[in-house]
Amino acid sequence: MTLNEEKIAQPKNDDREIVVSVRGLTKIFKDFWGRPKAKAVDNVDFDVYRGEVFGLLGPNGSGKTTTIKMLLGLLNPTKGQIEVLGHSPKHVATKSRIGYLPEESYLYRYLDSRETLEFFGNLFKLSVPERKKRAEQLLEMVGLAGIWNRPVGEFSKGMQRRIGLAQALINDPDLIILDEPTSGLDPIGCREVKDLILALARRGKTIILSSHLLADVEDVCDRVVIYYGGRIQAMGELKELLSTRDAIRITTPVLPKETLKKVIDIIRADVGEDKIKIDNPTQNLESYFLEVVKKAKQQALETSGATSENIIAAYLRGEAETSPAEKTEKLLERLTYKPEAAKQPSSEQKTKEEIKIDESKLIALTEIQKQPEIKEKEQTQPQPKPIPESELKKADEKLSSLINKPK
Amino acid sequence: MQRLYAIIWLTWKAAFRFRLIWVISALLVMAVVLLPLMIKHDGTARGFTQILLTYTLSAITALLGISTLWLSCGTLSRDIEECQIQLVATKPIPRWQIWLGKLVGIITLDLVMLALSGAAVYFLLIYRAGKLSEKEQAILRNEVLVARSSLREPLPDLKPDVDRILKERLKSAQLSPDEIRDLRKQIEEQVKAAHQIVPKDYRREWVIDASKAMDSARLGRPLFLRVKFYAAQPTFGGSYLCIWRIGSDKSQRVVELEQNLPGETFNEFPIPPEVIGSDGKLVISFINRNQTALLFPLEEGLEVLYYEGGFAINFIRGLLIILFWLALLAAMGLAASSFLSFPVAAFATMSVMVLFFSSGMLRSSVEEQTVFGRDHETGKPINPLMDTLMLPVFKFTLKIVDLAQSFSPVDYLSAGRTISWFDLLKAFLQVVVFLGGIFALIGISAFYRRELANVQTSGP
Repeated sequence: MTLNEEKIAQPKNDDREIVVSVRGLTKIFKDFWGRPKAKAVDNVDFDVYRGEVFGLLGPNGSGKTTTIKMLLGLLNPTKGQIEVLGHSPKHVATKSRIGYLPEESYLYRYLDSRETLEFFGNLFKLSVPERKKRAEQLLEMVGLAGIWNRPVGEFSKGMQRRIGLAQALINDPDLIILDEPTSGLDPIGCREVKDLILALARRGKTIILSSHLLADVEDVCDRVVIYYGGRIQAMGELKELLSTRDAIRITTPVLPKETLKKVIDIIRADVGEDKIKIDNPTQNLESYFLEVVKKAKQQALETSGATSENIIAAYLRGEAETSPAEKTEKLLERLTYKPEAAKQPSSEQKTKEEIKIDESKLIALTEIQKQPEIKEKEQTQPQPKPIPESELKKADEKLSSLINKPK
Repeated sequence: MQRLYAIIWLTWKAAFRFRLIWVISALLVMAVVLLPLMIKHDGTARGFTQILLTYTLSAITALLGISTLWLSCGTLSRDIEECQIQLVATKPIPRWQIWLGKLVGIITLDLVMLALSGAAVYFLLIYRAGKLSEKEQAILRNEVLVARSSLREPLPDLKPDVDRILKERLKSAQLSPDEIRDLRKQIEEQVKAAHQIVPKDYRREWVIDASKAMDSARLGRPLFLRVKFYAAQPTFGGSYLCIWRIGSDKSQRVVELEQNLPGETFNEFPIPPEVIGSDGKLVISFINRNQTALLFPLEEGLEVLYYEGGFAINFIRGLLIILFWLALLAAMGLAASSFLSFPVAAFATMSVMVLFFSSGMLRSSVEEQTVFGRDHETGKPINPLMDTLMLPVFKFTLKIVDLAQSFSPVDYLSAGRTISWFDLLKAFLQVVVFLGGIFALIGISAFYRRELANVQTSGP
């Protein structure tokens, strides 16, 4: 089994509802005379399940956006099949369940933000009161409530992204496709978008996220595919792809020198000194920035830009219904939701939970890691193109050196 | 409907935002208000009409036509080039509705602009007519600010005469098919001339079925004779003695008139309604006492006009035909922008417009049966191969052009002639449903198939 095959493993949860299914997807851009110009996407297969945050990763020009545009019916595949919510991407009725944020601000620059939301609300045939209510809540959510009457063309890029995000959510979609959602946003905006994605995912929404900002993907995605040259190079659950199985990290409060020395001595008994690394954990820059802004806000400093209190629109939180019966039903739905579909906690929550290490995990961590279990590639997945023999050999050697115990 | 309305609203919004509406409004104000103020008329009803109705309506049609083409070429292609369409197309609205919404948006915009400028023209016409002399006001009331229908002698069937003469000629000569075709054409011209030409000291009589004008005649409203003729040898002053005898033994009254009328132009004069015979026939005789033969064209040589209705409703029908033309232009521009970029679409539609206005050249080629002319000595076409290829294309193009060009609302309104409801329906079916429908099918089909994310230009 090659490196590629290991990484392109299908998830275990096949019993979950498939929202997007892509098989053998290929897109070749042609010139005026019909001659092939560029192969943007090459024989790609993947499924996206209900309630998951699915990331499309890759460098610029790797085929992420082309894939997204084929999912939305904006480009026609040269080869392969796509099913979105059980239908062809061109099926008009299905589009009422999809929200899309493009990579750039493709908004009408002469409309103000409220007109923009009203226009798109009309395309979803929302009633006047519903449209107005949602527009108000969304503007509040994206921090543009105070400047709703300015034409979108006068907005900064970040503000345009915010209004773009709002229009993508006006229909309370089941499938949300976000192309570079944090591009152009300040760190607060990025954090808010990521929190929003997680909140939506908790409500059972499916989110496809394309980005080359790895930190964003890492924070929110359950599964990812990594593109390069139009082909999927790796696919799987993020935590499995990222886990370093031959190293552990213990974080503690500052220890007395003697205690630390004892610990190091104990470790030295098993591991060579050059393999041990001790330092102070640094704070994440994002967290630090957010803390500074939070303090500034508390001092009530004024800004002419977007403002936000990290509020999520009520109808997106599923709290739009006012009758007790509807509320109860919502609650029941949440409580009875399949545990597989429950979302990953945010990075901060994750950190807190990881501190509570149970005994068995500690034992497992202190044992020398065995070779990670390699998942068999699903039969349904097509075989990637064979890798040249020389590269295969090199990769196998590298892989062996990584999984074997240090000599 | 809500989605369609949203697209219509967006089209309006774009037109206002890009200041197109303001520019057109300013130009329309200039055309409607300033143009008649700048160009002084000669004080006659005819001159007054020419400036206040013909010039302004023509200017309004031209201005709205250009802006419609501009807007229709820009609204869709810009949305595609600047990628906004990618957001709209991912919403639950079929692409045909996006296309149709844009079309309806432009047409409704034209409707409003045309209605406003039309209303301005109408009220200015009524207001400024009061400043003419009593006599000219009467002419205006009777000849311009009315809706008059036309009566003509039915066109004679020339074919039996042509066939008979041709048969006689062929008895005495052996001719090739080409020569027979040329001979037939010559005979046709001769037979037609026999019906049109009134030689010196000859009389020509027209018998017209005027039963439709009886109601108007009973009310005492005058009839109008509208004539146009050509002289074989022009005279110094350009006018010719015309002796008319109008009426028959079945009519209450017979009128005899002697006039000096100019040639090669339309002449219009009133005749009493009593000249119509009890059998509904109107007999008109013309005696040529000039030193030259006069030719009255079969199609427009002589016609009788009678009152059929008021000006206001006729004016509205005229404006509606202009609106149909604008709708056709909008469909054409949108169809082009469905698969072309804005500048190319604008260029393509302008080229079609040029072709439309230069249809005279196509028509003469078709009439002469050659595109590149004939050899003077042999009379044969210079380039028969190209003629074979191009003449069918020209004929087809002319048929299409004629579908839209066969209506002249501005000329009809200026001449106080009725644009009937039937004409309006015919214009709607030919211009909007048929021609507009063809462009709509081409445009929607191209837009449906187009990969909207596959544009060469970058986003904003």
